[in-house]
Amino acid sequence: MNNSMRQVTPNFSDDATRGLSVVPNTHVLDAMTEQEMPIVSEPKRQVTLNFSDGETRVFSVAPGENILDAALEQDMPVLFQCRSGSCSSCICTLKDGDANTLAGASSTLLPSEYGAGQRLLCVSQAETDCSFELPYSSEVGSNAAHEVNVFIDSIERIAINAVRLTVELADDEWMDFRPGQFMQIAVPGVGVVRSYSPSSTQKTLPKMEFLIRLLPDGVMSKYLEEVAAADDVLTLTGPYGAFFLREEHRRSPHIFVAGGTGLSPILSMIDTLHQSSGRKPPMLLSFGSAHAETLFALEDIQLREQWLPTLEARICASNGAVEGQHPGNPVSALRDDDVKDPNTVAYLCGPQPMIDAATSRLLELGVKAENIFAEHFVASN
Amino acid sequence: MSEQPIIRRRVVKTGISDSRTNNAKTQSQYQPYKDAAWGFINHWYPALFSHELAEDQVEGIQICGVPIVLRRVNGKVYALKDQCLHRGVRLSEKPMCFNKSTITCWYHGFTFDLESGELVTIVANPDDKLIGTTGLTSYPIHEVNGMIFVFVREDDYPDADVPPLADDLPFRFPENSEIFPHPLWPASPSVLDDNAMNLGMHRTGYGNWRIACENGFDNAHILVHKDNTIVHAMDWVLPLGLLPTADDCIAVVENDTGPKGLMQWMFTDKWKPVMENKVLDLKVEGLKGRFYRTSVVLPGVLMVENWPQEHMTQYEWYVPITDDTHEYWEVLVRVCNTEEEREKNQHRFNVVYKPLCLHGFNDCDLYAREAMQNFYTDGTGWDDEQLVSTDVSPITWRKLASRWNRGIAKPGRGVAGSVKDTSLIFKDTADGHRPGYQVRKIPEE
Repeated sequence: MNNSMRQVTPNFSDDATRGLSVVPNTHVLDAMTEQEMPIVSEPKRQVTLNFSDGETRVFSVAPGENILDAALEQDMPVLFQCRSGSCSSCICTLKDGDANTLAGASSTLLPSEYGAGQRLLCVSQAETDCSFELPYSSEVGSNAAHEVNVFIDSIERIAINAVRLTVELADDEWMDFRPGQFMQIAVPGVGVVRSYSPSSTQKTLPKMEFLIRLLPDGVMSKYLEEVAAADDVLTLTGPYGAFFLREEHRRSPHIFVAGGTGLSPILSMIDTLHQSSGRKPPMLLSFGSAHAETLFALEDIQLREQWLPTLEARICASNGAVEGQHPGNPVSALRDDDVKDPNTVAYLCGPQPMIDAATSRLLELGVKAENIFAEHFVASN
Repeated sequence: MSEQPIIRRRVVKTGISDSRTNNAKTQSQYQPYKDAAWGFINHWYPALFSHELAEDQVEGIQICGVPIVLRRVNGKVYALKDQCLHRGVRLSEKPMCFNKSTITCWYHGFTFDLESGELVTIVANPDDKLIGTTGLTSYPIHEVNGMIFVFVREDDYPDADVPPLADDLPFRFPENSEIFPHPLWPASPSVLDDNAMNLGMHRTGYGNWRIACENGFDNAHILVHKDNTIVHAMDWVLPLGLLPTADDCIAVVENDTGPKGLMQWMFTDKWKPVMENKVLDLKVEGLKGRFYRTSVVLPGVLMVENWPQEHMTQYEWYVPITDDTHEYWEVLVRVCNTEEEREKNQHRFNVVYKPLCLHGFNDCDLYAREAMQNFYTDGTGWDDEQLVSTDVSPITWRKLASRWNRGIAKPGRGVAGSVKDTSLIFKDTADGHRPGYQVRKIPEE
């Protein structure tokens, strides 16, 4: 076993973990390879940004071009606000090279500060290649993964093999995430991490909720069942993952297919749509489990049906389905007339066989391949 | 390990939304309603009576924690967010308009297009980069029969999704006479009817809008009106209360289009009027049956049909200003087809309806609602209230409002009332100004 508390690779061998691999922080390469060809004859300057967390990003700027504008165009995680040399949000310190104030612009820097190398990016131009030190970490200006501490509020058994873990971010700590993304939770005292998606949304922060499947002999399962108590501190890293609610499809009909605790990110997506502004799209949730007795969160789903007139939920159980439940898996619960709109978008989360079956069924029903988003759980031991 | 920073728990703040975790046990079917302390956003609300906004006049109001400035130009009313994007000053405090198509912030000259809200220039900084890239949220306006309605929306609520005003107004008659028959009175007039005269008043109530809203269609509340002057002067028979006698005593309306709300089958066999209480030796006297019917639709609009006279309807709104203030609107609707009828109606409003009904009768409602406020203000009342059978009306309303609202207003940010103990509130109070709905203008020298 690895003893490090901070592991970055997201794949692990047991509990309900993710099959998605994440390569952290490779933006330096991206920025350099995606550099546009300069239009002006004079060559572009190369600007290096050194963030307080040791991250380095490089981008290019044309002579006479506003450095902040160029940085934002190239997705640099820089802070800014007024863009007019006043508020000092974009303040940084010039370390190498030459950069000065754009013609016609003014800055609130004192001459002594300017002399000491301080610059406001929003009114600066690069005379030569240059590098800046930024007084904040690269995570601040972006949604990049970082580590936070949370306190356990409660651990509630919601099925024979599932718990609901609710936590609260520690004082002065924060983690934004998109609905569907996941975090890694370090198992205290063991030195390994497990990946879980919150079922809660950005709006309920600093509170977060996770639906977690318990596996025999899983280290996290053991911890949650035998050790964890309210007010214990856990370490989370994240957010990770490209499985998240796509803003650009917000107005299209949504189909969600969830197996087991794959429901967790799906609930986050449904709640986010509920909280969003404007008309709500039609939503179909097909959620299932192998046995009716291992189903959970049915009250949560019922409440959402009550609150959201456009949500229809189908609860499925391959074995032991009771009245009102679909006897079968959540894919077989999909019907021929479920896809009426060619722009229907689908989110699938559960075991790989379910995702495969759901994908081919949805394609058959007329959902476009590019509108199907999936993430699978690896539940191995 | 010595460099390990100390990890602290957050300090727990009071308030419903903060204290609840997203867990089904503490949630109810009307949890969204409990969360709507600052109101339901993305709905139509009355802003002002037409006569309160003359040509070129500028007024500021606040609804659901959203400050809104209104200006009338060439007869048309425009509404923008009343919070300059530069430093947050309310444009309406000292109106400054240099032309017919814009409004300018009197402080640093940020100038906004009335129609789109776009920042079109800055008086002393006309080449600033910010110009053309940003602006204030605009709010759709619908002015009808003497009332100005505003669609109060979140900043990113799309224009295409703005529903017609009629979707946020009570059920209309005779269109619904078949569904909701009214054998004891003629078809009720509506605010939207041709030649409707909408006479009324609005004032600030010091309590949460939900507490106010739930009063009007609560069939046990009429006890507070037992000894109102108009009831005795007119010899009206007003029961001590009405008791539900059937499961279907309330009809819930959830059609795809049109208003969402509830209609109560009053003065049918589904509600039993209570005329006496033998334990207390109480008996209702009076000669003339006073039949009426209450209904409520989102975002919280009360309709009292056949009230206070035949051919009249009383409408009420409880427009959220903050989480502890609302603007209480009372409007009496009557269709008047001739100038003579209009004059007669106006006169009767002035000498009878306004003093005896809107004040005499409804003043009791106002203080009764304020009397409930302390119980609910810290959130505990929602859990501690002990409901009885007549509360079927508010509970049905809470559930349907939870389902059909178009959004829950976020607590006001950077606006009057978002913090309750600022020196400005004390100063205004000491100067004799209550917290209110309309912006007080900076006095001219």
